[in-house]
Parts: sequence; structure tokens; C-alpha cells
Amino acid sequence: MQHPKQQTTNPMVTGTSVIGIQFDGGVLIAADLLGSYGSMAQMRQLPRVFKVNEKTVIGASGDYSDYQFILEKIMQKVNQDYCLNDGYVYKPKQLYSWCTRVMYNRRSNFDPLWNRVVIAGLEDNQPFLGSVDLLGNAYEAPCIATGYGNYLAVPIMREFLEKNNNKITEAQARDVVDRCMKLLYYRDGRAYDKYSIAVVTRVGARVEECKELQTNWQVASQVASYD
Amino acid sequence: MFLTRSEYDHGVNTFSPEGRLFQVEYAIEAIKLGSTAIGIKTPEGVVLAVEKRVTSSLIIPSTIEKIVEVDSHIACAMSGLIADSKTLIDKARVEAQNHWFNYDEKMSVESVTQAVSDLALAFSDQEDEVYAMSRPFGVALLFAGVDETGPHLYHLEPSGTYIEYEAKAIGSGSEGAQQNLQDIYHKNMTIKEASKHALSILKQVMEEKLNATNIEMCTVSARDKTFHLFTKEEIEDVIKEM
Amino acid sequence: MFDIKTDTRKMPIEHHFNPYEMNGGTIVGVAGEDFAVIASDTRLSEGYSILSRENPHLYHVQPHTVMGSVGFHGDSLTFNKTLQIRLRMYEYENNKKCSTPAVAQLISTMLYSRRFFPYYVNTIVAGINNEGQGCIYSYDPVGSYEREVYRAGGSSSALIQPLLDSQLGLKNQGSFELSRSYTVKMSRENVVALVKDVFTAAAERDIYTGDAVFINIITKDGVFTEHFKLRRD
Repeated sequence: MQHPKQQTTNPMVTGTSVIGIQFDGGVLIAADLLGSYGSMAQMRQLPRVFKVNEKTVIGASGDYSDYQFILEKIMQKVNQDYCLNDGYVYKPKQLYSWCTRVMYNRRSNFDPLWNRVVIAGLEDNQPFLGSVDLLGNAYEAPCIATGYGNYLAVPIMREFLEKNNNKITEAQARDVVDRCMKLLYYRDGRAYDKYSIAVVTRVGARVEECKELQTNWQVASQVASYD
Repeated sequence: MFLTRSEYDHGVNTFSPEGRLFQVEYAIEAIKLGSTAIGIKTPEGVVLAVEKRVTSSLIIPSTIEKIVEVDSHIACAMSGLIADSKTLIDKARVEAQNHWFNYDEKMSVESVTQAVSDLALAFSDQEDEVYAMSRPFGVALLFAGVDETGPHLYHLEPSGTYIEYEAKAIGSGSEGAQQNLQDIYHKNMTIKEASKHALSILKQVMEEKLNATNIEMCTVSARDKTFHLFTKEEIEDVIKEM
Repeated sequence: MFDIKTDTRKMPIEHHFNPYEMNGGTIVGVAGEDFAVIASDTRLSEGYSILSRENPHLYHVQPHTVMGSVGFHGDSLTFNKTLQIRLRMYEYENNKKCSTPAVAQLISTMLYSRRFFPYYVNTIVAGINNEGQGCIYSYDPVGSYEREVYRAGGSSSALIQPLLDSQLGLKNQGSFELSRSYTVKMSRENVVALVKDVFTAAAERDIYTGDAVFINIITKDGVFTEHFKLRRD
């Protein structure tokens, strides 16, 4: 039996949407804690947003093992930086550019990393939010969401940002993200009610304790064919 | 003095304690054995003239080729080990064509010279390493051409150094010829004047009697930016006017 | 009864990964006598979603040269980066800036170098040539190129090109004279106004074009930019 070359041609354990939004003086990203194995909710404490350094955080949807691979590469680089001890750290834009190159090169070798990565941070005191996908497609925006979030969360975040002239407070950002995560939990079959937030402000970057969504399923019994 | 040299001139990439690369210096010496070549730059273009040593009456003089076309706008004259020039000229031609292929414009004379100079130190006596050459090349080149910044004349030597000149002589008669060039040179020379000067200086430094068959001559004119190799008749005309 | 087709077990199932995507976007270039105009919309799409409303498809590659590149955004980004490297190398090797015709030729050979795994992009180059004339070059994805007077590229090219043929080329309007000029006789202001109109028209019918137009006007004094709003639905 001949084996064709092994590649990630479909994801195995997957994470669903990552959402991110800029606010005045910082940026935050959020993702739930679920690792799905097909339609099975397999891992329910899976962290998906990480701190890279004091200026940068990262999150990703798609294949979790490919995400771990990227993270490992990044953390190697971060450790090298740390060992050099020259005060230099990767800034968000550099990491974003690096991710773009890695993702594009992998897709060009027909061996893609099956993810959409979101990079967030502060650079020159300006919030940065960017995303790269498995094809090497990359863009920056004041709000970004992957997967179903792109359909469900982005319109809400965009409307909110536009209404406030792209200038919102951290509290407002947290509120809109919580609303979006809740909406995603209600409507995305692969979403989960526990999620974590990574936030970068002038103080530094941190990944927060996991949050649990306060949901209300009272209407469920009224929905036809639900039971 | 020669003794200290011999200790450090076996390996081509070994510095002497005084910081010299003897093999490269010997290569420069080799040029002084070569036939004389002269280049003069004028506002109207550049002239190159070389002597060919026709050492036997049985040689067919036209097969001794010491001025070549690199591209339609660049000429090259040489002195020293002519066989070594083949690699360099080949490189120059490929680079010039490649530049045209990539950028749809003529390559500048300096860029061609720079590209060829990259080969100058691409040698090694290490057998396992893949290098272009096993020793420094033993030829000096005069690149004459016209590009969008006007006429240019570059001299390239085995060390890889290249310098732009108003007028330059290389080869066995170079010392005398260079002095002569210095005396006759002025900035507003016509190309015709420069041709005559080139031949009369060549005549003075050549051992054989100068005639239309034992020299070669070319111009790259600023007006049409084209290389032109003189025919026997055209050389005779210049000789007559000398 | 339960036999499995043997041939399906011979080899593992092969999935096909599609390395391309169409991210939309429209570019328009017009060559004037002493200026060139190149414009693009600022929408970046993926399927039916809009990834960004503020992503122009123009790349300012040299002081007097702008490249517009639309199609697969990942290829656009990579191609632009590679081009910038090549242009910097050109400067080091030749002690001068790369002219617009030289950039144009370089882009052609770079695109062709990926003949068997093409950059999935539509490219238009606009700039001023060594004679101070406006010039436009347009390309197919594998590097076939031509100098032109005006050209529309990208998702709305089929909507805009005929309009330009009518307004700038004056095609089939009585005169059958063959124009030998590589520039339009129109003024800079009128060209910019026309560009705004054609984008407004295209945004009406093409979902991959919209949000805003980013206009670059290239003259011997450099590149001037202008913004113009489009419908955002």
C-alpha cells in the first residue's frame, strides 16, 4: 500500500471562533475553552489565547495541534530573545509579519497549518490587531473574528465601534466581547460557555482567569423540535 | 625579501604577515607582460586601442581578438592572460543580457564592471570547494561604454578593484603610455582626436611597427550609444591622419 | 452483501487543498500626458464576508511608480514584499532608482518565474517614465504584459473596462482612426472625476467592490493621494 505524503488536509481537534477588538489604550482577544473532535466536545479546558510577551498576545481557531506547533515556534523565539537579555522583544507587527510568512510558505508547499491566527498587542502605544489564515492571507482591522465569529460577532463589534467613532473604553470592549461570546455560544454548535480573555494595555499583557457565560435557555422549550 | 614572499605565496588565500596576498600581486605583475591597451574617454564617446603581437607571419592576425563587445553599448579591451578573460567576458555578457531581460533597459557600465569584479576573488585552491577559478585571473580589463549617465571608462584588475578613468593604459607599455596620456589629455577632446592620440601613443610603446593589421580599435559613441569595431580600412584612415 | 469496494481501501482518501482564494478588489489605471492615475477600492473580502473596509490594493514601490495588485490577497502581499526586495537590490547594484518601465519588466519576469504555480493576481503598474510621460502597464497572472493607455483590473474589470473604452478610448463613436498615443488627452481633474464615477458604478453591481476608493495621482513631483467614499453594503 502506497502512502501519499501526510499533510493536514483536514483538521482533527479544532477550536472555534477567536474574537478581538481594539479599545482606547489597548486591545483584547477572547476564545472559548473547547477543543472539538469533529462534533464531539472533547476537551473542555483547552486554553486558546496566550501571552507571547508583555507587548503581544496570540489566539487561533482551527486545528489545535497545528496551533501548538506555531506557538512552540514562537515561544522558542521568545526564549531566545529572553536569553540574549538585551531588552529586545518581538513587537506585534513583527510577529504578525513572521506568521504571515510561515503560513504562506506552508500553503505554498501544500502543507498548510490549518488555522486562522489572531495577533494582538501594543506597538508604539498604538493598539494592533491582525489576523493570518492558512493561505497566508493577512489583514489588520480594529475588530477581527474568525470562523462563525466573522459572521456573528464582527457586525456587532463593527457597529459598536462605528457608533463610538472607533474610540471605546476597555470596559465597553469587555462588554461587547462578552455579548459576542454569548451570541456565539447560543448560535455556534462548536462553541462553549467558558472562555478566556487575553488583554494588552500599557501595563502589559496578561491572560485572565476563565469566565463563564451567564446564559438563559428559558426560550428553549418554546422552540419547535427542540427536546 | 624574496624569501619571505615564498613562504606566503603558496596558498592563494593566505595573507602574509604584512597583510599582502602575494598570488594576487603576482597576477597584477602578469599583466605587465601583456600587450598594451589604451582607453580614452571623451564627451563624444570612448575609444579603445590595443596592440596585438603577431609573433609569426603565419598567424592570421584577425584571429587575435583583444577588443570584444559586451553589449551593444559596452566594449572591453584586455591585456594579460587572454584565456582568463573568456570567463570574465562571458560573465559580463550574461549579466548585461540578464539586466536587459529583467529590467528592459541597458545595464550601466559601472554595474557591468561591478558584476565582473565579483569574480575576481572567487578563487580557492581547496579542491572540495566549488569556486569559479583556482587562482586569481591574470588579465586586466578596460570597460568602455555609454549609458544614461554618459560615456564611461573603467579599469578592472585581478584584485577586483575597479576605478573609473578619463584615460588609461594597461599592459607592457602602460607606464610610458600612461604618462603620454596625461600629457595629451584634455576634457574637450573629440572622438577623432582621441583615436589619433591612442594610435600615436600605441605606436610609441609598441615594439613592432604599427600598421592596420597589428592593432585593434573600437569606439562607443555617445550619440548612438553603440559599439563600433574599426575595419582595417578605417584603421588605415586614422593612421594616415596621424 | 457487506463487501467493501476493494479499490477504496487501496489508498487512503486524498483530500485536495486549494491554495488559492479570491479576495476581490478592483483597480483602475489611466495614463495622462504628464501624470498617471491609479485607483483601487479598499474592500477585502472572503466569500460573502468583508474582512476589511480599509485595505487599499495599491503598493507604492518607487518614488514615481505604484503597483496595483488584486486577486488572492496572500499572493499580493508576498509578491509585493518580494518586489520590494528586488527593487532594493536593484538600487544597490545600479546606484539609481528603478524607472517605471524597468519595474514593469521586472514584475513581468517575477510573475513568469512562478509560471507553474502562479501568483493569482491581476496587476496594473502606473507611473512616470524617463520622458516624464504617464504610463500604465497591465499584466495577466503569469506575466504577459503590455503598455496601455487605460486599464481596469480585478473583480469589476468587466464592468469598468467597457466604460473606459467609451469615455477614454472613444471607441465606436464615429472616428475609426487608430490612436497611436499612449496617453489620454484628458486633464488630471477630469480623469480623477471619471475614476470616481466608474467605481461608484461598479460598487452598485459588484459585491467585491466597495467601501471607498483610494486614488493615487503620480506626477514628476511624486504621488498624491485622494479618498472617495463608496457604498458599504
